[in-house]
Amino acid sequence: MFLFDCNVSFGVAPKPALSYAATAEALLAEMDRNGVDEALVVCAAQRFDSPLVGNPLLIEQTGGRPRLHPAWAILPAQTGEMEVETLLAAMRAHAVRALWAWPAQHHYLLDALTMGPLLEELVARRIPLFVPLTEYGGRAAGWVAVGNLLRDYPELVLVATDQSVWGEDRYFRPLLARYPNLHLETSHYELAHGLRDVVATYGAERWLFGSGYPTRTMGGAAMQLLHADIPPAAAEAIAGGNLRRLLKEVRL
Amino acid sequence: MKPVGMSKLVADFWEHGRVDDCPILDTHAHYGPFTGIYFPGRGEAEAMLAVMDRVGVRLAVVSGHAALVDAARGNAIVAALVAAHPERFRGYLVANPNDPEQIARDLDDFPQWQARGFVGFKLHPSMHEVSLCGEAYRPVFAYAEAHRLPLLSHTWGADGLCGTRQVREIVERYPSLPFLAGHACYGDWDAAIALAAEHENLYLELTAAYAYNGLLERMVGGMGAQQIMFGNDLPWFDSMVAVGCVLSARIDDEARRAIFYGNAARVFGL
Repeated sequence: MFLFDCNVSFGVAPKPALSYAATAEALLAEMDRNGVDEALVVCAAQRFDSPLVGNPLLIEQTGGRPRLHPAWAILPAQTGEMEVETLLAAMRAHAVRALWAWPAQHHYLLDALTMGPLLEELVARRIPLFVPLTEYGGRAAGWVAVGNLLRDYPELVLVATDQSVWGEDRYFRPLLARYPNLHLETSHYELAHGLRDVVATYGAERWLFGSGYPTRTMGGAAMQLLHADIPPAAAEAIAGGNLRRLLKEVRL
Repeated sequence: MKPVGMSKLVADFWEHGRVDDCPILDTHAHYGPFTGIYFPGRGEAEAMLAVMDRVGVRLAVVSGHAALVDAARGNAIVAALVAAHPERFRGYLVANPNDPEQIARDLDDFPQWQARGFVGFKLHPSMHEVSLCGEAYRPVFAYAEAHRLPLLSHTWGADGLCGTRQVREIVERYPSLPFLAGHACYGDWDAAIALAAEHENLYLELTAAYAYNGLLERMVGGMGAQQIMFGNDLPWFDSMVAVGCVLSARIDDEARRAIFYGNAARVFGL
């Protein structure tokens, strides 16, 4: 099974995980150890230092390593730090095909007022936006934020990441039913028979394999999918096919 | 791609999802529907057994979700589960400190509970909002220690009711009690590991903690593998995730086998 991990970070964080990959080379070794073929990656500097520092650093670190696909962090345009056209041009130049938002960490509102022009471009170009639910303190607040964003931008390819392990189906299933462009990743979705249940109800197309590394192990997420009680085609799609398709659909 | 540098045990699990000569004993499971979560299959026996069979969990020690709410009603439900599947389940008797009279009755009757497949006790200080060190728990600790019965308590590092400080007080007061710290005092890892290294009858149980990258290596390095218990909160979580985390850790197969079944077999007499 081709494993394409959508939720991976490397580099040194201010409060590092107990074990982590400080460099892209170390991350590749960890992927090898866990049977992960490729990964859509960010680095700690994008989140904890600044996207202005981390985005170019990521390109520098992942360059020449085709198994690692860079994703950039976004900021509002109004401060002049990240003009939309400049960002898009740089993404084209460096083949960056996905973005992450850390609105709490970076102190902005991920809404139409603050990010409207960028969000309209993401919709038009089908650029996936990864949004960690933990940015909203987790649980209900994160899903409310995701719902509000999709209400305003229903065509946005939004990947909600890092849900709580303690049972969130009652939050996210109404959103999956309403918004066909909402995607979820598997890193914290440990519910027994959960994948089987959601795949049967909503299909496999909107689930992406994610490990949550370095906070979480890659091996647990990999084993969950390798031996999931879902049809093989669904498992293949979640393992990597869906993310490949999403990245291929991007029009930079 | 296949992982690089796998041991034979890891390779066999990777290939088949289960290994018959490495059975898994789950020391932290539940049973039945619960308040804040949707369970496919309502968290009942058929759904749990399907997971256990897929992953090679030979036996799970369960406390009833209903028992966390109403001990008398819920413990009886677990007794019925064990009676229906005596080879696959054992029970923890839930003790609710808000009902000391029920605790007294259950301790008096514990030989009957044992005859119905109950092997120890389960406490949940967070849910019952009573400190692990509360007066009402003391008869349970004393009974369990006197009879060398395993006791599993929910523990959480940041929880003032059942954090590492409270666990320390209990294991110092009842040194012969086989005490399983559920979730391994989640988040307060180094203190929990140091405490387990000091107290041979304190076991760190892995539910939710297993996924924390690098933790198993730190546990085995700091306290050895003999006091780590496999647990998974089934029917909350797919046991395959927990198994994958243990397989992925940089520990040897001897440690993996101790965690998967050896320690539970020794402590629970399974």
